[in-house]
Amino acid sequence: MSAEQDPDAALMLLVKQGDTAAFEQLVNKYKQPVMNIVYRMLRDATEAEDVAQNVFVQVYKSAGRYEVSSKFSTWLFTIARNLCLNELRRRSRHPADSMDMAHPEQEDQPWQQFEDKKTFSPPETLLHGELEEKIEEAMAELPENQRTAILLCRQNELSYEDIAKVLQCSLSATKSLIHRGRETLKQKLKPYLKTGAWRDPK
Amino acid sequence: MGTDPIYERLREISWRRKLSSGEERELREWLAAHPEAQESFESEAGLTEALRKIPDVPIASNFTARVLQAVDQEAMAEARTKQARWKGWRRLPRWLPRVASSTVVVMAGFLAYLHNLHNNNVEANQHLVQRMAGVPLPSPEILTNFDAIRIVSATPAPDEQLLALFQ
Repeated sequence: MSAEQDPDAALMLLVKQGDTAAFEQLVNKYKQPVMNIVYRMLRDATEAEDVAQNVFVQVYKSAGRYEVSSKFSTWLFTIARNLCLNELRRRSRHPADSMDMAHPEQEDQPWQQFEDKKTFSPPETLLHGELEEKIEEAMAELPENQRTAILLCRQNELSYEDIAKVLQCSLSATKSLIHRGRETLKQKLKPYLKTGAWRDPK
Repeated sequence: MGTDPIYERLREISWRRKLSSGEERELREWLAAHPEAQESFESEAGLTEALRKIPDVPIASNFTARVLQAVDQEAMAEARTKQARWKGWRRLPRWLPRVASSTVVVMAGFLAYLHNLHNNNVEANQHLVQRMAGVPLPSPEILTNFDAIRIVSATPAPDEQLLALFQ
């Protein structure tokens, strides 16, 4: 893999030299796919946006160490997945961190402060149809690695080999994860898939 | 059906992208020969289509701006940390470098003393070896009657009573 083969890697090499415009281009190109994956892993819009933002900050901070050994998108999605897994681990350690909990040093300040993002509409409000809701539910119930594998499958630029790199498992294990995930989804969505409702334009 | 290589290949391709016209033709031909797989592939295609239609998650319009702002803040924080580290070095007490250099000198002196002691020992050993080399060893012939001499020299103890009578 060389920078000529992967235009994003070429941009990343510019970021390495401190080119902020190249970084902005990468953020604009990948913010949607990163957000899609992160939200569907964390199931929390506010946290997902913070983590997605952190993914790009990590990319910028690690630019100095970036080597064009594989596709930029593979590297990016690996960072995104690792940050999501860290967040999920943190959640399991502190299952009920209240946002109103007092800060240990400043008692009049809450422990966590979240920006009131009026421009952000949680995806739940945009899920108009029952079918979308059902598939989101079914996806949420999948094990994390199966769900991530299926979501990465939607990224056209990622091959099965790239997905395997992100998931840090073999090619055959990756295909098996996708197959098992899809089988579960087919079972859960059977009535909808049978009607062919997805194929009908709304 | 599940293990048929043509079916497997086309199914795996369909998971990631739409089949090309050539691939679709190949699939139609294959399904014509294996009508029992028709239903299974239809549900696969239905699911693929469903997954393709999952809506994008909305993103705040200022997402990129916020990322760039966070990056700037990180850079500033890093610069501040570096500066604080440098200031920390400058805040060290004035006597510390003198103590450090004195310690280095004392340590160097001690090491030189140990080195000298070791050299003296080596020299003394070499001198001893040289002196011992000059002393000739006795001939091995004197050992031929060693056992006989040892037996003869092993005389019985003196008779104390007889000696007393002589006196």
